Formats: sequence, C-alpha cells, structure tokens
Amino acid sequence: MTKNAVQNCAKCGMCLNVCPVYTVLNEEQASPRARLHLIKAYEQNKLSSSPLLKEIISKCLMCGSCAAICPLGINHYSEFMEMRKRMVEDHGEKLPIKSLVYLLAKEQRLKFANTLARVGQNIVPEQFKEKYKLGNIPLKRLPVLNKKPFRSALPETIFPNGEQKGTVIYFTGCATNYIYEDTGFSAVNILSHLGYRILIPETQTCCAIPMLFHGFVEKARQSIKENIAALSQDSVDAIIVDCATCGTALKKEYNLLCDKLDLDKSAVDEISSKVTDIGSFMLANADFFNFKKIQNPKSLNLTYHLPCHLKNSFGNTETMETLLKIIPNINYIKAADFDSCCGGGGTFFYEYPEVSKKIGNKKKETAIKTGADLWLTDCPVCRINLSGNLDENDSLKVVHPVSAISSLLKPKT
Amino acid sequence: MLTQTIKTELTDIVGKERYLDKTAELACFSYDSFTEEAMPEAVIFPMTTREVSRVMEIASKYKIPVTGRGAGTSVCGAPIPVKHGIVLCFTKMNKIIEVNTPDRYIIVQPGVVNINVQKALIPLGFFYPPDPGSMTSSTIGGNIAQNAGGPRCLKYGVTMDYILGMEVVLASGKIVRFGSRNVKDVTGYKLASLFCGSEGTLGLVTEAILRVVPQPETQKTIMVIFDDLDNTAKAVSDIIGSGIIPAAMELMDNASMNAIEDAVGIGFPRDAEGALLIEIDGIKEACEKQTKQIIEKAKKNGAVSVQEAKSESEREKFWNARRSAYGAVARIAPDPISEDVTVPVSKVPEMIRRIIEITSRYGLKVSVVAHAGDGNMHPVIPIDRSNTDQRLKVEKAFAEIFKVAIALGGTLSGEHGIGLGKSKYLPLAMSKDSIEFMSVIKKAVDPDEILNPGKFV
Repeated sequence: MTKNAVQNCAKCGMCLNVCPVYTVLNEEQASPRARLHLIKAYEQNKLSSSPLLKEIISKCLMCGSCAAICPLGINHYSEFMEMRKRMVEDHGEKLPIKSLVYLLAKEQRLKFANTLARVGQNIVPEQFKEKYKLGNIPLKRLPVLNKKPFRSALPETIFPNGEQKGTVIYFTGCATNYIYEDTGFSAVNILSHLGYRILIPETQTCCAIPMLFHGFVEKARQSIKENIAALSQDSVDAIIVDCATCGTALKKEYNLLCDKLDLDKSAVDEISSKVTDIGSFMLANADFFNFKKIQNPKSLNLTYHLPCHLKNSFGNTETMETLLKIIPNINYIKAADFDSCCGGGGTFFYEYPEVSKKIGNKKKETAIKTGADLWLTDCPVCRINLSGNLDENDSLKVVHPVSAISSLLKPKT
Repeated sequence: MLTQTIKTELTDIVGKERYLDKTAELACFSYDSFTEEAMPEAVIFPMTTREVSRVMEIASKYKIPVTGRGAGTSVCGAPIPVKHGIVLCFTKMNKIIEVNTPDRYIIVQPGVVNINVQKALIPLGFFYPPDPGSMTSSTIGGNIAQNAGGPRCLKYGVTMDYILGMEVVLASGKIVRFGSRNVKDVTGYKLASLFCGSEGTLGLVTEAILRVVPQPETQKTIMVIFDDLDNTAKAVSDIIGSGIIPAAMELMDNASMNAIEDAVGIGFPRDAEGALLIEIDGIKEACEKQTKQIIEKAKKNGAVSVQEAKSESEREKFWNARRSAYGAVARIAPDPISEDVTVPVSKVPEMIRRIIEITSRYGLKVSVVAHAGDGNMHPVIPIDRSNTDQRLKVEKAFAEIFKVAIALGGTLSGEHGIGLGKSKYLPLAMSKDSIEFMSVIKKAVDPDEILNPGKFV
C-alpha cells in the first residue's frame, strides 16, 4: 500500500472549537486532531484497521472548518479523503451509501433513479411519511423531486433578454437538476436579467464530491473528466455554481487530484480560476439589477445560513450579507450563529442523525428567533437539512437566495 | 490492568456510553500539545461530582492511576497518562451553574470552555481575565490545574487570582469545598491555591467559583515594529518601568514574525527584528494618554513603525497574528518545542540575548514570542525529534537557558506548568527541602499516589 506521511499536527487544539461534531459531542475522538492522530498511527502500523476506526474517521461533516483554522496549514480534506478510501477498502460501505455513489457515478442512472424515486414519493402512504425518517429528517419534510431534470427542461444556450454583456457557464449540480428546480429557474432568470448568455452544457455531471468524500476516488475520476470536458469552453467569463460544495470541487479539489487522477492540469486551472459562486457574481453585478418598484419598503424578512464550504473554500464570509443589505425590499436579519455548520454535511445527517439533529436544532432556534419568513442558504444539502429540521407549524421556509432575489426583479419588457 | 470486575464497577457508575476502552478511542487520549504519548487503559467522561467521587472510590480501592483531562491542550504533557490507568475526561461536564454579575462571580463545572465563560459574561458587560492561547478550546478545569496565564494576565493576574472557591474530589473519593462567593475570605487555609496549579496531582476540581470583572470602557491596540531586537526588549522594560500597566504586551522576534507572515500574512515587514503588540484598556481619557506615552517611549527606543488598530476587525487581525505564532512556528519542523521561562521584566533584554546566544552556539533555530510585559518568554525551537543528535542539543540548550533564567532571578515556568517536560529541572528552581515539602503534601492527600502519577511530585 502506498502511503503519504501525514502532515505533522502539533496538537494545538485550535480545531476543536470550530469542529461542529466536537462541539456537540465534547469528546476528543470526534475531533479533527484525533482523526489525524489515528491516521498517522494507522500509517505507522501502530493501529490496526477496524470498523470502529472507520466510524471515527467518517463521523465528520467534511465541512473544512478545521483546515481553514489550522495554523499549520494541514489539508484535513485530503488526509480524511484518503483515509476514508482505505477504510472503504478494508470494511466496505453501507448499502445506501454505495447505492448513492453508484447512482452519482453515471448521469443516466441518476435520471432513471429520479423517475423511480418520484414515483416512490407519490405512492408512499401518508402515515409512513409521518412515521419514518431518513436519518434525522422525517420523510414528509424531505423535498419533492423535480418532475423532470431541470437541465432537460431548458436549451443548452439561453440568450439574455436585451443587450449581451458576456457569457457564463451554469454548472447546475445534481441538486438543482433533480431536486430544487426553483433554484435553477431563478438563477437563469437572474443571469439573463444581468445580461449574460448562459451555457448549460448537457454533458456536465455530478461534481464527484460525494464519491470523493466517501472514499470512491476511482469512481470519481470519470465524472471529473466529463466535467472538465464540459466546462472547458472558450470565451466564457465565468463558471457559475449555485452549490458551495460543487464549487469546492471545481475550485479546489480537482486541482489537488490532478496528479493522482492524471487530469489535464491547465484545463483544471482554467476552470478553477473561472468558478464563481452565484452570490459573489450577483454582488459583482449588483449595479445592473433592476428591481420592481417598492410597494412596502423592507417587506421581505430574511435571514441567512452561510454554508461551510462557501466559508472555508471560497472565503466568502460576508458576500451574501452585503448583497442582501443593498437590495431594496429586503429586511435582512442576521442570526447570531449564521456562520456555524447546520450539521447536514452531505450524507452525515443520514449516517449520524443524532449528532446532526443536535447541531441543527441550535441553528433552528436562532433562525426562528429572528422572526424572518425566509431562511436563505446557498447549498442544497444545508437546505435539505435545515428545512428537514423545521416543523410543520414553523412559518420559516428555506430557499436558495436566488429564489428570493429573482422574485424581486422587474420583468424585462 | 483493569479487570472485568473493575470495568463492571466503573460502567455501573457512568454507563457504557461514557466508558471507552477500545484502542482506537484510547489513542485519542494519549496526547496533548506536548511531544510525548502514553495510552490510558480506560477513558471515563463523568457528568456529575458524584460520579467523579464514585470513580475515585473504586480507583483508590484498586490503586488505579487516574489522570484528569480537559480539552488536552496542555503544552507540558500534564494530562498524558504516563502510568496508564484511567483518564477522567471532564469535557462533557460542562454546565455553567450560575452567572452572578451583581455579586461578581460565575460558577462553572470544570469542562466549560474558557471562551464560553467569556460568551456568558460579555453581554452583561463583564469578563473573566485569564486568556491562555488555547482559550477557544481549553477548559476551566484544565486552566485551574495548570494555573493558566495569558497575554492580559500582565495587568489582570493569572487563573489563581480569579478563584474564589472550588469543589474538589480527593483521591479517596471524598468531596471537599473551599472558599466561598466572597472576594474577602480568610476562613481557614487558602486551599484553592493549593489545588490551582497542582496539575491534577492532588485532587480533581469538579466545580469552581470564579471572580469576574467589568469590561473596561475602551481598548487601544498598537502594533510597534522595530529593526533591532534589543531595542524591542528595551522598549518593554522602559514602558513597564515607567509605571504604565498595559493589559498586554506581546513580543515577537524576526523568526516568529516571518513564520506568522507565512501562515496568516498580516503584512509584517520581513526584515523587522522585533514587534510589540500592546493593548491598553480602561477609561477612554486614560487610555489615550497612555497610548501617547507608550508611542513616545517606543519611538525613543528606536521603533520604526507604530500602527494603531482602527477597528475591531483590525484589532482581531493583530491578535490573530500573535495567537497563530505557535502553530506558525510549528510549520518549520515536525516537532516544535516551546519553552516558558520567565524573568523579571528589567531582565527581558538580557534574557533574549542569552537565549539567542545559547541556541546559536548549538546550531539551533529559535524563535521568541513573549508575554514580554511580565517577563514570560516562549522560545520555540523547531526540531525533528527523530533526529537524536538534534534532540540532545535542544535538551542541553534548554538546560542552559533555564540556568540563566534562574540566575537572573527568574523561574522555570510562567504559565505552561511543569508536567512531563520540566520535572527534572525542578531542582534548579526549588531547594531539596522545598521539593520535599511538596511531597509531604502529596503523600498526605494522595497516599497511594494514584492522582496523575509520574509527574513532578
């Protein structure tokens, strides 16, 4: 087995307080520092592989907060990903996770599964939806899937209404494509309102982060290559992502995998330099928004949840807040813990429902306290998790910021 | 060895969920931020004083070593279970029991993280002064065990100065309480000061009544840069000697500034020889006056630039630079050894000169960060421990540094503690009789030596 030595961790403990899992469990074995320690012990053959070791390594949201604060600059992501891969090799993976990876690895499978799942959602009797949960989320609180994949509902090229200012590629991610088409339509509306020609390449596929985070590095290779091909186009001003996690893949992770997966380095660099989260793109173009005439000033009460991957991979801690504050009609109310993790973490909410619930409940309480009507977040997993934690009678509704902003735009004539 | 019988007795107390004995889990409690490791045989997370007491009853019955642990951010190896046995980890015993700012105290369980004490007090206009570098992660229990200090202890004093009372579980399992909610209290021995700083060798703190103080009206934060390290140190003793008491006065030398610059990039000039991060707090007018005085003195001692934080975020940026120093220096080599010698502040310039002289004689790199205002210095030597030759050199260099510090009227450790790192140097700072006096106390309180055995007493 080839092994890279673990970057040295000085065990200073700065990562403890920023780790969402450690801060709810308060036990060292749930800390980033402990995971690094165990990886090193395993690599030095001081610790044997075991299902317990696999669990300790996987009980992590892969939110990246530890890496962001680490004064030594340790790349926890790479260490954890590599270790997850070894643990899957040693002990296999739970069937639902394997199935997810199997589906994500091929766009055709995803489309097919989507159809089946939609049928499935429709035939599940109401009392089952009341009673059963997926992880910590009751079935009835899970999103309804798109009627048909978002991307197949639109042409590959959309021209702006009016003068064309530039061209962008829209990387929709699986969530917009299969679950949250409202995000997709709103994003397209905004980009075209701002004067951009939008390319939505048919051949784009899963960003591969779920496969990578579950240690299926080889399976990820094909998807990554397809995306590199789909996104390498001339005369494109930006590659827009509406999901912080897809953004992390395109902006950072592909670069780190160039050697290992034999990727075209210059193409990956080019993509990485163009990737922009839609929040930053909107803020940079804020002067070109044309909003509806204000009826009731500040009538839309909003609060916001900052996704970890946006904070840690893009370093965007204030972008969305700045944008929301300058939009007329929006009354932005900051939640005290707007930048702390929601506990969703890809499939974490499914694998560790109790931990996830504890993290999510804290967020829910402060968000409700703001009195907002809409809870915005620019990450689909955060959205599934946050709305999953809300109750039927909570008036708060979780949407992507583009949906709120799109609804305020003046229609072009 | 913990037999099945003992295990059953222990799990009867805390349940199976809060009892760990599998290798992968135990390994996570074998370290702190010091460089040695030792495996416990079991880890127990108590939630109540009663549970701690019952665990200790069993431990003393079977004479099992018990090492207390908070967040494990100690830099001297204090929570490393060198004699194995049980690690009693207090991180889940983390309730704030009472916040009483009119009477100026807060009562906490030992697992409460320092920063959470601050968070509970700040909205009420109060704060708890001890601010160790690890404050965002370290627990009050750990802070008490190590008598933790920190930058602003220059003005405000260390952990011990803020303990009004405590509840302690003794080796036998007996529960005792000392002190009260009162600042003035001369009822019996001041026993809290015996346990504070005892590094878990005398008892386990299960509750603490901490003194809190009102937040100052204003804070001013200044970063002063020098092109000469000697001048930097002279500025420190000049400012302190003049009677000004800043809340904090942090010194960084060229090596640490460059390491910080590589890690967080705050714009330190690469060729600067020294920097002072100075914070003054108090009444606005007084702060302004003192700021002026400090700037004058800094310039008189050759400061090349003086920058005042214009906003809270700028202040945070300055402090973030200082706080990241340890980790930043740690990037240079696999194992950074951070020391903690302390000298009277007038001796700071000489001590720094001697540290540099000694380390360069051994061909070692050194970076110095210091809570300079109180003479507390952290020379950090980055080494690779697998290099035996280098390790021996470091040991020799530190032995010399300790001797110099003591000769200058200083001491072995200002705030890190003795732990595993420095017990062999104790005779440098304490006479045979003084060390023996500690043993007498230890034997009286913990006759079977089950509490954190293998450490300095």
